[in-house]
Amino acid sequence: MDDLTEMLKGTLEGCVLEIIGSEEAYGYAITRRLNELGFADVTEGTIYTILVRLEKNGLVQATKRPSRQGPPRKFYALNEAGREELAKFWAKWEYLSSRIDNLKESGR
Amino acid sequence: MNFWETVTGSDLTKEWKAFEARVEALPADYREAWEQIKVSVFPHSDFTGRNLTPILDGVLGLLEETAADGLSIHEVLGDDIDGFCAALTGEEGARSYRDRWREQLNRNVAKKLGQLGG
Repeated sequence: MDDLTEMLKGTLEGCVLEIIGSEEAYGYAITRRLNELGFADVTEGTIYTILVRLEKNGLVQATKRPSRQGPPRKFYALNEAGREELAKFWAKWEYLSSRIDNLKESGR
Repeated sequence: MNFWETVTGSDLTKEWKAFEARVEALPADYREAWEQIKVSVFPHSDFTGRNLTPILDGVLGLLEETAADGLSIHEVLGDDIDGFCAALTGEEGARSYRDRWREQLNRNVAKKLGQLGG
């Protein structure tokens, strides 16, 4: 599906929180996960800027780990504030998607 | 940072040299993108550029990691390098010199109007 990018923008941060919520992950792994889910346009640069924001807002714990090839990688995990933010995201998502579904149903 | 470095910015020159040395080790398409990133990030520099060094250091880290993964620069940044840079500087809260000029202008105009007894 093309042109999902604009619609996805507001929710991408929540998606990243969800992904690192289940397991500590680094940028490339997060990007790949989203690509596998069908969001082909998501690039590592996009995820990088989101991770910078999450770190600045104190929602994630970043740890540098040595890697076999090349420079050390930064791994991200949720902290307590991040878990709260994730719960809020899903509550907002429930609200939004149920309203939009209602709209769609009532139009039929 | 000692006094001499603060005044002359010699610490920055050193940092920039270190950046460029790291860039040299990257593939050609990455080096090309780095030049573009510098150009689009530069307007957000403060007077010395000290606010940009942590941002660029992070980006360089990203480029090094992804180059080591064997990704092309297009896979990493997509088509929109400017958008990427805007997100970067926006997130870091780096204001551009234009923002400061705008504020200064607004302040001066407000002052002038105040003097006219508005």
